[in-house]
Amino acid sequence: MWRYFASRLAQIPFILIVVTMTIFVVVRSTPGDPVQIMLGMETSPDAVAAIRKEFRLDRPVAVQYVLWLGDLAQGNLGRSIRLNTPVTQLLAERFPVSLRLAAGAMLVALCISIPLGILAALYRNTWIDYLCTGYTVAGFAIPNFALAMILIYVFSIKLGWFPITGIGTGDAKTIFGAIGPYILPALALGTLQTAVLTRLLRSSMIDILMQDYVRTAHAKGLTPTSVVLVHALKNAMIPFVTMVAIQCGYLIGIQVTIEYIFAIPGVGSAVLSGVINRDFPVVQGFTLVIAAFFLFANMVADLLYGILDPRIRY
Amino acid sequence: MALLTVRGLTTSFSTDQGIIRAVNGVSFTLEPGEVLGLVGESGSGKSVTALSIMRLVREPPAKVQAELLDFEGTDLLRADPRTLRDIRGSGIAMIFQDPMRSLNPVLTIGRQLTETLVRHINIDGNAARRRAIELLEMVGIPMAEKHLGSYPHQFSGGMRQRVMIAIALSCNPRLLIADEATTALDVTIQAQIVELVRTLTKNLGTAVIWISHDLGLVAGLCDRVNVMYAGRIVETGPVREVFYRPSHGYTIGLIGCTPRVDRVGTPLKPINGLPPNLMDDTPLCPFLPRCDVAIPACHRVRPELRSFPGGHFANCLADLTSRHAELR
Amino acid sequence: MAFSIRESATEMAVNFANDSDKIAPDEIPTVRFATGARLAARQFLRNPAATSGLVVLALLCLAAIAAPWISHFDPVQIKLSAKLKPPSWEHLLGTDHFGRDVLSRLLYGSRVSLSIGLLVVAFSTSFGVPIGMVAGFMRGHVENGLMRLMDAFLTFPPLLLAVTIVGLLGPDLRNVMLAIGIVQVPVLARIVRACTLSAREEVYVAAASALGASPLRIATRHILRNILSPIVVQLTIGFSAAIIAEASLSFLGLGTQPPNPSWGRDLADARRYMADAPWLFLSPTATIMLAVLSINFIGDGLRDALDPRSWRTRARAASVKG
Repeated sequence: MWRYFASRLAQIPFILIVVTMTIFVVVRSTPGDPVQIMLGMETSPDAVAAIRKEFRLDRPVAVQYVLWLGDLAQGNLGRSIRLNTPVTQLLAERFPVSLRLAAGAMLVALCISIPLGILAALYRNTWIDYLCTGYTVAGFAIPNFALAMILIYVFSIKLGWFPITGIGTGDAKTIFGAIGPYILPALALGTLQTAVLTRLLRSSMIDILMQDYVRTAHAKGLTPTSVVLVHALKNAMIPFVTMVAIQCGYLIGIQVTIEYIFAIPGVGSAVLSGVINRDFPVVQGFTLVIAAFFLFANMVADLLYGILDPRIRY
Repeated sequence: MALLTVRGLTTSFSTDQGIIRAVNGVSFTLEPGEVLGLVGESGSGKSVTALSIMRLVREPPAKVQAELLDFEGTDLLRADPRTLRDIRGSGIAMIFQDPMRSLNPVLTIGRQLTETLVRHINIDGNAARRRAIELLEMVGIPMAEKHLGSYPHQFSGGMRQRVMIAIALSCNPRLLIADEATTALDVTIQAQIVELVRTLTKNLGTAVIWISHDLGLVAGLCDRVNVMYAGRIVETGPVREVFYRPSHGYTIGLIGCTPRVDRVGTPLKPINGLPPNLMDDTPLCPFLPRCDVAIPACHRVRPELRSFPGGHFANCLADLTSRHAELR
Repeated sequence: MAFSIRESATEMAVNFANDSDKIAPDEIPTVRFATGARLAARQFLRNPAATSGLVVLALLCLAAIAAPWISHFDPVQIKLSAKLKPPSWEHLLGTDHFGRDVLSRLLYGSRVSLSIGLLVVAFSTSFGVPIGMVAGFMRGHVENGLMRLMDAFLTFPPLLLAVTIVGLLGPDLRNVMLAIGIVQVPVLARIVRACTLSAREEVYVAAASALGASPLRIATRHILRNILSPIVVQLTIGFSAAIIAEASLSFLGLGTQPPNPSWGRDLADARRYMADAPWLFLSPTATIMLAVLSINFIGDGLRDALDPRSWRTRARAASVKG
């Protein structure tokens, strides 16, 4: 098993280089002079030149990239041009927020998808199954920001149950105060992610319930609950858990619209404002970390698959 | 009293085209400790009969009906799900054809053994473990304790089938149904498994229904045999009687195409024609289209049950005694 | 659809029920072949969701093309005197905060969304299919290299990459197509490669016994037929994903720039007026959902229609206790 993972690990640098190089190229292809845009038209040419030199914008692109890699090796991701803080510090502030949001969304997703997927598989072609299918289909069709808007309108404005801002302000005194602002965004994000998971679980379970060993379990006189929850579910969990891991990595990237609507200071909104403000170090640094996280999540997924399925021993 | 009484068992599937009768009016009884063979070609309804008795067929789309379906005094047709679950595994047990697919790949062998024990017998985890080890040893698996933690894919086909037998016999069932249990195994392993089942069931006094399309197997193992075709039993009787004095066109056909060690070089006679259409509930003999011993009467009347010496019955109008000699 | 005569009669009988048009039930079963395309089309049309999806999509496309004839209001013209009017006979879906007719904006907006969808599909096909096929054919280092490259691009969180590209390089059509399409290329390439690999096995056997007719020609024709169905299904997924991605980009202010109509942009504007003018929110949301749903249904229908195996599985599933 270790040989397989070693080869996977070896691929990571290559992948990250392709990713960062692409972003680098995109960033450097931005029309217009970034410094001028950032600082405004009235700045003196000397100031502009000084900023240019500091951020190495006067060197050729390839050199800039290599130098950036060099810094990276030392753990330095540069400074935000706009905020003048180290990118690593910004990451440290924002990444946990996004992770918490993703975790919340995943929690919502699991609470819905596991029971729904199982029930839909057991009661195929009944109203439960149709509900499930309708739900998964709608989940793919509703843009998550549209759902967020509805949730905000209903729960925050009309009913006043949940606050819509306040993440990262640090003045949470109660548990509800701490979790509260995360609830609506997690719901908006998670409800739609559920679609993928529910579909997967349902089709896995349907397949599994047709297998011979389920028939054997029935022939042994085991209770239906035991057959479904122990014999069938355990098999279905293998692809399910790996998909959860993959989705976690994916969520971080998808979050940007939700972070925008709820003004959540996470990595998605950082990239968004970085892009709008032409803050290259932020864009590069954050994209790198997000991609690395995604890769990490995928590796965890593979690892889990190997652990959970006794038939696989690399 | 008979262990199992089946009378008029019919299992039908309704489809857009019509009703398919996979089992069509099957009747037989089984005494305690008796070994019964159920033979026929693929699709004759053998497996569905067994699954229907255990109520393991999904209803709907299937519909299982019978005049009587009685196991040890319990009406299996009208029993509630709980009672049926109690009987499955401890009253009637079943082993299936493909042991690789019949064992759960993600649960250990030990777990699959102990769960049956815990379910039906009131013992705790440790006692169940010990019993599981005994059972594995009983079926001839060495180093049983170590293997409790193994998974099915780590075993060979023969060993997996032994595990299945252990699971099936773990609660001392009164009836064991073996559905093509040896078909997927190598010939040498087949012999071992067959012998294992024979010895164990004899010692435990378990009745066995051997479902197979292998006449030789059934001839060597069983006391009585039912020959099935198109969902009906066409001939039944003690093994020797049926195989030496077959009295139905289909049985003769079956025997005719079975290779025989004592007749090397004799050409086999295949049965012509195609498998029957199970939607066709003909009043005439279902084997008629393919039969070479049919007489004119077969085209007009329904075949009646004729009885022969020794508790031997067949649903055939033709007189086949003349053919018996050539089969010796 | 041939099946082996040896097949168990029960299985065959159960399959009879579901594959009724392949075997005439009264005869002794004879094998009857139907051409793949006709059979697939029939199976597709039997699926109500898929057929209605097709109809809806066709209507949407027609509406997009015929926009000027359907609604004579200028989607861009500001008319503050008519602002925030609820739906009426004059303005079927009401007006927005600038007095612009919502229906017009939706119709013209659909031009944007649908054309982006098509562009993305074209882009991903023109890159994904060749890459996948080359990788599947060449094997070895070429295959490895290409697939690693595809893996690298798969690591981009799709929306974020789109945000980066469009945000930095500008919101024109080319950039949006590139941004959304780039992440779809690897997915398609992977699928094409897998199908090419399996199709190759069969083709080489046929080619070996074929008498020298250009194997490349046979290969292209055979393989193309095999991979067509998963590609088409994947493309429908990509199409609907592209619509949502474009809407997201416009929502964030990065895609279609105001005052040009776009579903996502209109949703962003609707935020402030959720209470006062709910039709501003409902109309674009409903349209997006309609478009995405119809495409998804078409995709599902295609997948069912083009996969003969799914017929058999449904029959089996019905008979044994699970």
